Amino acid sequence: MLQKKICMLGGFAVGKTSLVRRFVQSIFSETYLTTVGVKIDKKSVVLSDKTVDLILWDLAGEDDIGSFRLSYVRGATGLVLVADGTRAATLTVALTLRERTEAEFGAMPFVLLLNKSDLADQWTISDDAINEMRQSGYQIYLTSALSGESVDDAFIQLASLVSK
Amino acid sequence: METLRQLLVGREISELSRVTQLLDVPEQHAAAVGDVLPRAVTHAPQAQLSEAFSPVVERSVQRSIQKDPATLTDILYPLFLPAIRKSIGEKIDQTFQSLNESLRYIFTWRGLKWRLEAWRTGTSFAEVVLKHSLIYRVEHVFLIHRNSGLLIAHATAENATSEDPQLISSMLSAIQDFAKDSFNEKEQGALDTIRFGELRLWSEVGPFATLVAVIRGNPPEELHEIVRDALLRIHSESSGALEKFDGDSTQLAGVRATLETCVELKQEDSTQAFPWLAVAAVTLVLIAAGSWLFLSWQSGQRWQDYVSRLEAQPGIIVAQQSARGGHFYISGLRDPLAADPATLLSGTEVDPARVHSQWQFYQSLDPKFVLKRLTASLAPPKSVRLSIVEDRIVAEGEAPDTWIDRARAAARQLPAGGPVFDISRVRDVSPEARAAENWQTYVSRLEAQPGIIVAQQTARGGHFYISGLRDPLAADPQALLSGTGVDPVRVHAQWQPYQSLDPTFVLKRLTASLTPPKTVRLSIVGDRIVAEGEAPDTWIDRARAAARELSAGGPAFDISKVRDVSPEARAAEHWQTYVSRLEAQPGIIVAQQTAKGGHFYISGLRDPQAADPQALLSGTGVDPARVHAQWQFYQSLDPKFVLKRLTASLTPPKTARLLIAKDRIVVVGEAPAAWINRARIASQQLAADGLTLEISDLRELTPKELVHLREGIQAVDILFDSGEAVPGPEQLPVLDRLANQLKELATDARKAGVTARFMLTGHSDTTGRETTNLSISVARAETVRALLKKRGVDPELLLVRGAGTFEPAETEKAQTGSSVNRRVSVSVNFD
Repeated sequence: MLQKKICMLGGFAVGKTSLVRRFVQSIFSETYLTTVGVKIDKKSVVLSDKTVDLILWDLAGEDDIGSFRLSYVRGATGLVLVADGTRAATLTVALTLRERTEAEFGAMPFVLLLNKSDLADQWTISDDAINEMRQSGYQIYLTSALSGESVDDAFIQLASLVSK
Repeated sequence: METLRQLLVGREISELSRVTQLLDVPEQHAAAVGDVLPRAVTHAPQAQLSEAFSPVVERSVQRSIQKDPATLTDILYPLFLPAIRKSIGEKIDQTFQSLNESLRYIFTWRGLKWRLEAWRTGTSFAEVVLKHSLIYRVEHVFLIHRNSGLLIAHATAENATSEDPQLISSMLSAIQDFAKDSFNEKEQGALDTIRFGELRLWSEVGPFATLVAVIRGNPPEELHEIVRDALLRIHSESSGALEKFDGDSTQLAGVRATLETCVELKQEDSTQAFPWLAVAAVTLVLIAAGSWLFLSWQSGQRWQDYVSRLEAQPGIIVAQQSARGGHFYISGLRDPLAADPATLLSGTEVDPARVHSQWQFYQSLDPKFVLKRLTASLAPPKSVRLSIVEDRIVAEGEAPDTWIDRARAAARQLPAGGPVFDISRVRDVSPEARAAENWQTYVSRLEAQPGIIVAQQTARGGHFYISGLRDPLAADPQALLSGTGVDPVRVHAQWQPYQSLDPTFVLKRLTASLTPPKTVRLSIVGDRIVAEGEAPDTWIDRARAAARELSAGGPAFDISKVRDVSPEARAAEHWQTYVSRLEAQPGIIVAQQTAKGGHFYISGLRDPQAADPQALLSGTGVDPARVHAQWQFYQSLDPKFVLKRLTASLTPPKTARLLIAKDRIVVVGEAPAAWINRARIASQQLAADGLTLEISDLRELTPKELVHLREGIQAVDILFDSGEAVPGPEQLPVLDRLANQLKELATDARKAGVTARFMLTGHSDTTGRETTNLSISVARAETVRALLKKRGVDPELLLVRGAGTFEPAETEKAQTGSSVNRRVSVSVNFD
């Protein structure tokens, strides 16, 4: 049994929880997010040579980065950063959160999900910016909670990164 | 030299002196070593260094404590305090728990029992109490990686269920973090107890892993130690793997066994012996007492029910009633027509044997009882109905005046104070009135009859007159009288016949006059009479004529739906005539016959001697071209056919005749023997078929000259000497003569159509042995046969047999034997 602790980080209302709802096993209700500040789900990813159980710590999204419970990230081996493609500020929040965790716990693999790709007309993040980030090695996925687009691919990518 | 030395190694010498000085001066030497010591320690092999240091460190700590314990205590204080605090806390908890339990059980029966057990086993009372009262079970044990919250191992008790343990373990550590963060708890401790109803979560935190036990029930504090021991064991056994744990739990598969030991921990409720016998006995007594009370209450209740039922009865007045010692006493008044109190008892479940009643008869003036009495005494006719209207008794209906008079008398005799009997509503029905009524009934019955028209009717002086029209096919008015109560003698009727044009009557008339065949059905459709079906043209012609003759204004007669079937019907009739003619024929058996599409098919069996079916066709009117017959030949056993066949096969001579007598065939007259023989063979064959051919009445026919010749031949004997098989020479003329006779007879017989056969029988006298005699007799016959053959007699006709001494010509007396008996005789047979 191979398990990895993964933290899902992102600003307020970027759609982390609804993005993964259809793809994960879950026993806890979403009220945990507002009470304990974290909700734990499980995603089993089948890779070519093994199966990895990603234990997803879905941390409550807050735009006030200072109130972020950093201790929940301890022991994580990977991150899922989620930003809302229609609010460019959330990308900054996600990247800042990553910087903070890196400063505290060291660098770790991550994937960046730009969510709400179904709302193309409200999109605010330029393709150039995305390409630039990709060139600097970021694994970026345009996702949609509505269609479930690319979500599985992102999990597979992250699983192979953390189980290397 | 010195200069050369200075030039060559001057620098080395000064350097060497500096080092020597450095080593010699301790201060300088210590400073130098101090410079490199931390680096040297870093580079030295760890094991050797620890080995080298540990005695020194141990001794220094020892010395430091001897010198001033406060220094080390200060150093270790932050380390010890939480551990000590926790340990003391648990001890206090344990003490409180045992004190609680002790107080709870100190005065109970169970408590006394446990005290005894503690005294007996020498353990503390608290321990015994805990042993019995703590009931718990460890349902799950999670081993959780402390840093990442990932599940390392998990063990579950039998039948215990939980959600995904991976998710639970992460959430547990999240909650640990949450609690710690939320209350700013900086110390190394952890959330060690979570309690939720029956469930408790106990955590033990180790350096790398946390062990969480999920316990259902009330665990003793000692369980903490057990769980802690398990965690320690896991850490000491696999500390390396735990430290390096990165989510791959395969390296730590071994820890599961340790977890399993924790999961097995439980304390089950000990089953107590329950005093079943005592409880059962008490229950039985209670049931018995309860039932007795219930039954006596119930019987009293039933008696009261019965009494109130009696009181509710009209015509019954309960004067007194009481219940004493299970017996019931009742007395009062009762109308003879009221319900019988004893009968009312049945169905109340009150035991009749326990009821003692005393009833005085009285006449109730209750209208119901008066009504009953009146009904019984007046016996009103069926046409009168008595009823209670308010508190009067009213008679309604019809009655003869005699009854009305009786009722009036009864009304006068009713006692005062009771109900009045009102008979004013009873109509007087005198016989005359009845007769008139009956007459009206009869008239309306007549008027309802189809085919009857009542023109006039009157009743005068007890006589009735009626006149009108009547169809002859309508119901007989006289017959309708029966059952109406009208006296036929008083009825004077005059009916004019007429033909009703009512379709029913027209139909009846048509049916009577036309007599339609069975294939035709007449019915009324609307106001027409319709004939349907099949009929020959003759009937259709008649029907058409009848239709024309129907009177105008009446129903029409429609015969268009009758199909003309005359040609086919005639052909079919002819065919049936032919078939029945065939069936009447002896020697013809009709198996099957049908008519299909104007053609006729017939098949069956036919004796060759029977009449030709084809020939029988002539005169039947059946077209031979339309007849397709298939006949199988068979031999009829009908005596007539047997006779025919016999006549054909036996060809009897003119002197013989075959007759049928009853079921037998008899041959009478005369016939040659040969023919009789053939007839006999035929008779035997017939017998196999169950038929009899009698030939006993047949006389054999042999011509007179043949008979004469036969007699001549049969008188001849060829004689022999004693012991000789060859006749003497004196017999030769006899033989010659015999041969001629035989030849003549054979020839004549052949001419007469029979075959004459000659039996040569040899004889001997009685002298000598019997076997010799028999063989010599045969030998004599053979010799004669040979001699006759020699003389030209056909040997085929000569038969031989030896008779020995059994057929003597004369009885012998002399010892010498009889010369007459030594002979060969001849007999003749015709066949």
